[in-house]
Amino acid sequence: MKRVPITLGLALLVGVSSVSRAQTRPDFSGTWTFNQSKSTKGIAGNTPIVPFPSQIVVKQTATELYVEGTSVRQAPLKAVFRLDGSKVTLEAPRGITETGEARFEGATIVVTTRRSFSSPAGETVVDFKEIWTLAGNVLTIEKTRTQSGESDTETAVYDKV
Amino acid sequence: MKALATVFLGLLLTPIVLQAHHSFSAVYDSNKPITLRGTVSKLGWSNPHAHIYIEVKGPDGKVLTWEVESAGASNLQRAGIRKEDFIGTEVIVKGFLAKDGTPAVNASSFTLVQSKKEYVSEEPNP
Repeated sequence: MKRVPITLGLALLVGVSSVSRAQTRPDFSGTWTFNQSKSTKGIAGNTPIVPFPSQIVVKQTATELYVEGTSVRQAPLKAVFRLDGSKVTLEAPRGITETGEARFEGATIVVTTRRSFSSPAGETVVDFKEIWTLAGNVLTIEKTRTQSGESDTETAVYDKV
Repeated sequence: MKALATVFLGLLLTPIVLQAHHSFSAVYDSNKPITLRGTVSKLGWSNPHAHIYIEVKGPDGKVLTWEVESAGASNLQRAGIRKEDFIGTEVIVKGFLAKDGTPAVNASSFTLVQSKKEYVSEEPNP
């Protein structure tokens, strides 16, 4: 007799938990354009230490995050992340290997990528960590570049097109 | 006759000027950021770019000389960095690797470790 209410209670708990998780996940989908005046100073200039795309196209589903970034000097960089945080191999220019993962942490998305390539200094690795936050039609990305024990962080603001 | 000679001399010098001021994307790979730590061994104090040569110890223990292209001497001086600040000092360089595979970098920034002087490039996109 007691089994029915317990099962019902469990089902409700799982259901409520799923719904609340879905509700706390904002949708980052859209076309986003870099807003230099609202971004940190270190991004501007000829060769920024922490590079950001000038435009980002994001398509978000329940399980995946599709990101296409375009910049002045780079070919478009496309990536499909699984939102369960599993590691994926990203499309990268010739001679470069890039892996990455994305996951929700509360209402933010955390994207980490590792790029490696050969150079006269040997195999060279650079790590990037991005924290994405959404506020209405404004996307803010805090990005940290770490290489050879040196870290730099910059913040870019994007407006929805 | 003098005017013709001046034009001829101008034509002769044009390739040198063009070679000195090249576009970033023709020489460097914006997809390959690199961080170096080494000691300055030589300095080309010039405009439009200064060239800093640094000795960097590789993972195999061998020392390799890297050529670092930075903002020109005038810009560096305006930022309070003097020619005398470089020689023999340790430097941390963050920049982008040359496309041709040589040990050459275009500097986004550099820090002179002892004096703690830092230069961050703010040159506009060409």
